[in-house]
Amino acid sequence: MRSMRIRLDPWPVDIEGGQLGLQRFEGELIDLETPRWAAIPARPIPARLGTVHVVDGKRRMESRVFIEDDQGEAGMGGFGAFVVGAVDLCPHGTRPARLTDVKAQRLLAHVPGLRVDPYRLSPRDPHTGRLEYHPVPADSADPLAPLHKLQQTMLAAEQQLSHGLATPVPFDETDPREALTSLTLQDGTLRSQNLGGAVVGCVKTMQTLYLPEDRAPLLAQLRPGERTPILHMKYANGTYTRFIWYVRLCEAAFYQHPMSGVMRLEMYAPDEPDFLPPIVREVANISGNLLCRLASKAHKDPRAPQNLIPTAALESAMTRAMGSAELVTRRLRAHIARELGVVA
Amino acid sequence: MVLGTEDATPVTFWFAVSPGASVQMDDLVAVRTQKPGGQPVHFYGIVDHVRTRHEGVTFDSDVADVVAGLLPASVSYAARVLVTRVDPEDFIPPQPGDEVRHARGDDLRLALSADKMDYAFAGGLLADGQVLPVNYQFVNGESGGHINISGISGVATKTSYALFLLHSIFRGGVLGRRNEGHNTRALIFNVKGEDLLFLDKPNARVGQKEEGVQERKGWQGGRYDRLGLPVEPFRDVQFLAPPKAGQGDVIVPDVEQRGEGVTPFVFSLREFCQKRMLPYVFSDAGSSLNLGFVIGNMEEKLARLAAGDDAPYLTVEDWQPDTEVLLSEDVRFDEMGKTRIQTFGQLIAYLEYKLLEQNDGEGDPKWVLKQNQGTLRAFIRRLRGVQKHLSPLVRGDLTPQQAAKYRPDILRSGVQTSVVDIHKLGAHAQSFVVGVLLRDLFEHKERYGRQDTVFVVLDELNKYAPREGDSPIKDVLLDIAERGRSLGIILIGAQQTASEVERRIVSNAAIRVVGRLDLAEAERPEYRFLPQSFRARAGILQPGTMLVSQPDVPNPVLVNYPFPAWATRRDEVAGGVTVQETEDTGKDWLGL
Repeated sequence: MRSMRIRLDPWPVDIEGGQLGLQRFEGELIDLETPRWAAIPARPIPARLGTVHVVDGKRRMESRVFIEDDQGEAGMGGFGAFVVGAVDLCPHGTRPARLTDVKAQRLLAHVPGLRVDPYRLSPRDPHTGRLEYHPVPADSADPLAPLHKLQQTMLAAEQQLSHGLATPVPFDETDPREALTSLTLQDGTLRSQNLGGAVVGCVKTMQTLYLPEDRAPLLAQLRPGERTPILHMKYANGTYTRFIWYVRLCEAAFYQHPMSGVMRLEMYAPDEPDFLPPIVREVANISGNLLCRLASKAHKDPRAPQNLIPTAALESAMTRAMGSAELVTRRLRAHIARELGVVA
Repeated sequence: MVLGTEDATPVTFWFAVSPGASVQMDDLVAVRTQKPGGQPVHFYGIVDHVRTRHEGVTFDSDVADVVAGLLPASVSYAARVLVTRVDPEDFIPPQPGDEVRHARGDDLRLALSADKMDYAFAGGLLADGQVLPVNYQFVNGESGGHINISGISGVATKTSYALFLLHSIFRGGVLGRRNEGHNTRALIFNVKGEDLLFLDKPNARVGQKEEGVQERKGWQGGRYDRLGLPVEPFRDVQFLAPPKAGQGDVIVPDVEQRGEGVTPFVFSLREFCQKRMLPYVFSDAGSSLNLGFVIGNMEEKLARLAAGDDAPYLTVEDWQPDTEVLLSEDVRFDEMGKTRIQTFGQLIAYLEYKLLEQNDGEGDPKWVLKQNQGTLRAFIRRLRGVQKHLSPLVRGDLTPQQAAKYRPDILRSGVQTSVVDIHKLGAHAQSFVVGVLLRDLFEHKERYGRQDTVFVVLDELNKYAPREGDSPIKDVLLDIAERGRSLGIILIGAQQTASEVERRIVSNAAIRVVGRLDLAEAERPEYRFLPQSFRARAGILQPGTMLVSQPDVPNPVLVNYPFPAWATRRDEVAGGVTVQETEDTGKDWLGL
């Protein structure tokens, strides 16, 4: 009989969900790369891969509002801000990493059926700049709909950015081969149908364990940089198909679950699992080296090593780009006070 | 652009340096800001601190990730400005985001308040090669006067800077504009080595040194060109040095490196008495009231004794020294029965006789004036102590012609700069010479007024005017410091440590200059005119670099000045010493 064992989830308790949820996966999984289920060592990053983009997005609801339009219609809404951005770096370290496209946008999401004008907050001081909220109707009158709208808009912008930056991926044998020169790492899972491009979704948190029980132990055995073979996966509801593989970024500490430090990567896959594009295999081969290089350290980031160094930098740059939430709310209040003729 | 993450005030602010631009400490900058009404306000200032750092990263070790190209971070390059001027004087703060520019041309003039200066001369070069104007009216006594230079010996090059300032004043055109060129003079005391005895000789190394600097800085013109100064040694210089010890008719200057062109100087014994030089022999007269009384009394007696004749020696009737004095051939009949006092030693012996020996040890009551013996002995003892040092300087064994020839004359016509070499004299004799010459000068100026400015360069002020204690020399220096500027005597004083110099002398200096300082010294209250960052830097200044503070500019400015165009050592003299010069030397010495 086995004795009771307790080990720690790697992530601090104030991060929602924890790293290892490990629910059972109901979809379909097919060995595509090799039937031999064993660790595959990382390959060196080829010289022609000159650019890696790390893309992420962030959103913030700044204030929930109650809107009455000039027709007398009324409803809920929200002032929201979101920002997407990328870090452009060379995987060989030949040039400094830089932030690109980190620019905040603001929207006023509202229930459908209202006539809402753009909302401009003119600066009180000429140096502080202007805030402008573009009206966007939400999908329903649900009180949470404005927030969802904000989230959707952000994800769409993120997707647009990440795909715009990547090398196109050939998805059938007739495609002329294209060398992998530019790769995009997107924070989180890939959310839509195949949009093309060498975009890798980096999933930090394991909520679902896709592997069957006989295969899962390999995750605990992977050494840093090693990966599992690539699998073709179809979600249970059949909407999306993906290529997935797991990579280990660092050794798990003795007090942690042995699967900690393991990250799931995914790329778009065609519906039919009959062809593994060489570029996907190439990305998988180098992913161990690349991610170990980008992995952060525990004392610098509570979600290390999965929260990558560039991602953490991008997150703080994005927070900064949205401005101080406190100041924004204060300006909103002051603006409304002025509009209502109240002396602030 | 002015930073918004640090306080911006009317006296100090930070600004961000744009990528590709570069700012160093001591650069002068200008900012224009706008009042809400639209009126512009200009700020001018000097950069006193610069720093770079990685922005947006948290850990010190992040620098490795940034360099490895993993972590995006920008380098923030910022500089702090001490405002030197706000124009117009609306003391509003600059606004974050206001553009900061290098001050050049007219901006530079405004930054350094040059527009307020009617007459300015070059005080050195700023870090970026522009000229620092110094207000001559704060030097020559019109609005203020005196220059004080502090710094560690050897590396602070205080004397070099003082000489550079003189060169700049004499040759930079400011005197010409004021039509004062012909009668402005300098009196320089040489207290160290024979460094200053070659001021009139071109320096063999200046060309090479200055070309090196010009090349390093990549400038079009050399430093002298930029300053508008000729690369020439001092002109119209006379060198005075005390004579070698020993008696005899030949009076030879006591210098080793330089043969010709140095005039020995002596005071006749009669002058010593007539001109009341006795107090300058005593450096500690203030230590006892009684001693001071005796000195004053003797000074008076000697002055009376010396009155009415002009021979270099004194004659007395009431004294026969023990040693037989051979009657020389030039004895005069009116001296029959009198004793001639020809040496300083004899003078002391005579005083001893009058005070302690006459009347069986009671002394001459008119001379003693009821002072107790101890005081009188102390007086004589002190005189004996300095006898060796002063004997060559104060002499009665000269012909009247010699006495006239070797009398130091600082205001001699045709001479602009007088160098008085006192480095070989003992401390007492140095003080004596400085005190007597300055007192002479002071009295002359009191009679004739201020129209001729005389610059007095004196190193080691702490020795002549120490903070503690009194001395006649200190009194003269204090007089010069406090009243000299209205009489046209300007003290260019230097010392290692301003904290050890009489406060009133240092505080009267309008222009203050600091070279390399000991860091502990830099924290003393005398240097409060330096902002904290400058005090810290005073410890690392290189030779040839000075911090100059002048009344028109509220913050000190760092300047460098060129290598001297005049030789500062014998081996720097261009062309070396010729045979002809050696012969001339011989003639000089022999008085031929």
